[in-house]
Amino acid sequence: MAGRFLRVEKIEKVYRDGENETFALRDISFYVEKGEFVAIIGPSGSGKSTLLHILGFLDQPTHGQYYFEGKSIEEFSDADLARIRNKKIGFVFQAFNLLPRTSVFDNVKLPLLYSDLSLSLRNETVKRAIEAVGLSGRLSHESSQLSGGEKQRVAIARALVNNPSVIFADEPTGNLDSKSGAAVVKILKELNDRGHTIFLITHETYTAEYAKRIIRLFDGKIESDRVVSRRRSTAGQFIK
Amino acid sequence: MKLQDLLVVSVTGLKTNKSRSALTILGIVIGIMSIILVMSVGEGAQNLILDQIRGLGSRTIFVEPGREPTGPSSFVEMFTDSLKDRELEALRTPANVQNVGKITPLVMNMMSAGYGNETIRTNVLGASDIVTEILDVFPQEGIFFSEEEINQRSSVAVIGSEVREKLFGPSDALGKKIKIKDRIFRVIGILPPKGTVSLFNIDELIIVPYTTAQQYLSGINYYNSLIVQAKTEEAVPRVVQDIEWTLRELHGITDPEKDDFHVTTQANIAERVNMVTGILTVLLVSIAAISLLVGGIGIMNIMLVSVTERTREIGLRKALGATNRDVLFQFLLEAVILTLIGGILGILAGATLGFVASLILGRIVSLGWSFSFPVIAALLGVGVAVCVGLIFGIYPARKASRKSPMEALRYE
Repeated sequence: MAGRFLRVEKIEKVYRDGENETFALRDISFYVEKGEFVAIIGPSGSGKSTLLHILGFLDQPTHGQYYFEGKSIEEFSDADLARIRNKKIGFVFQAFNLLPRTSVFDNVKLPLLYSDLSLSLRNETVKRAIEAVGLSGRLSHESSQLSGGEKQRVAIARALVNNPSVIFADEPTGNLDSKSGAAVVKILKELNDRGHTIFLITHETYTAEYAKRIIRLFDGKIESDRVVSRRRSTAGQFIK
Repeated sequence: MKLQDLLVVSVTGLKTNKSRSALTILGIVIGIMSIILVMSVGEGAQNLILDQIRGLGSRTIFVEPGREPTGPSSFVEMFTDSLKDRELEALRTPANVQNVGKITPLVMNMMSAGYGNETIRTNVLGASDIVTEILDVFPQEGIFFSEEEINQRSSVAVIGSEVREKLFGPSDALGKKIKIKDRIFRVIGILPPKGTVSLFNIDELIIVPYTTAQQYLSGINYYNSLIVQAKTEEAVPRVVQDIEWTLRELHGITDPEKDDFHVTTQANIAERVNMVTGILTVLLVSIAAISLLVGGIGIMNIMLVSVTERTREIGLRKALGATNRDVLFQFLLEAVILTLIGGILGILAGATLGFVASLILGRIVSLGWSFSFPVIAALLGVGVAVCVGLIFGIYPARKASRKSPMEALRYE
């Protein structure tokens, strides 16, 4: 079991506020293989974002185990976690989180500042990532000059610039009109086709259509975990 | 993270808030500026005074009545009458003091002097003929009085260029009779414009034989001081010792603590001046340093605001792989860049003000006030500025680096 790409076991996340305990997640267990496209859906407050933050090393579970590439995250130091976030993980946020007053190019370059990629390779790498999201014509635009859909595509370019093995997208379509949203999800689909594992949080069922597997959360628990039948898939087993 | 990237990130962070950065820098600029200004003016004053003292020549030794003044209350001792003819003669005897070149007693008075309708108040110095050598000034017209005229208590005077100008204007002065405190003196020599030597403005001086000054002007039988010139610079310490022994023997003093005179050399005075100006400079710099402290707190304040404001940016950077160290260094470097720029601007402003001050002060004291760029102070200023950045930047930077990425990203 330890050999799985990504595995969580009996994960719990509890927020304490004085005497009150709020369970954001309870008893979450599943594993994901490389190359999967997992949609996480569920109503607000069901724990989707919390789960994604834990999977993406931005937060830690209160209880339970998380194995990344076979290693328990308890074995990682803060610096290790930062390195994993930098090299193996890409994030796309609902609110884009681009640096204001900064060009598209520099926004996409940001993760490379924290990597050890040689300076000579950087520009090429950044341009390729921007090309992958179809924004080559906007290199020197400031992020504020872009439309919402374009902003999110910049964010995706930033997420994939370090060629991560897994991309976490937290409601990337939430702030977009349906057309731009569809374009963004399409790009994620293409990335998945090229081998990136994708986690996509979403409200709308239509975006979940692209996924190969849909995990539905309700009230901090997994309500269902199913493989989308019309797609070829080997994954999606619910750990009993 | 590469240093180059760190620099770019920090500079960009500062650039996005240009006016705030500039205002923050202002505190540091003022602090460093005050320090540089105080140090450069202090150094200028010190050099000026030392130059003046050196103007007397390194062989010059002063013997003054009373104990060495140690405070305002002991100034009274300057008016004691322990130095008279007897002492002068004893010091002139080679058996007592070897290697003595020349000795002149000095009798100083502020008095009115008049010619025709013109009357001025000026310094009247009673001295011997060798005062010309000590002050290094010789009459450009006429002659200086001789030993004979000293012995005869002649009423002759040598006047400075400004005295001549004020009393006589364009007309001839040599041989004219001027009135100093009811007594008529004949002008036998006129000194060239010379300016100040040892804080004595030669141009405003009237020099008369010390014997005449004692008897007819101040009516005293003692001297205000004796100036002794050693034959060589090397002989100075020995001559000082000989003078002390001779005067103690003459006055029956066994305990040097009870001396009724004191001997100072030019080196002595220079040393003391150095100490006094040094202490003053340190004092003033400490006061100026307070403004630097205030500037530092301003930096900390703004950095804290900046850290809070940029919480989401910090979260994002961490999510993209920035380590705590990367974030710490980014904000620390921002603080240091601010203080460093402030320091450099402060040094430039301080040096400019110091230069202007040297011009103004030079005009006020009508002396050549030299301006020297205080290199050591400048280096110190840069060092201090960087330290201020580090000290006051570390707290906000640590705060930034410890933010949890998820909470930072959620921050609204």
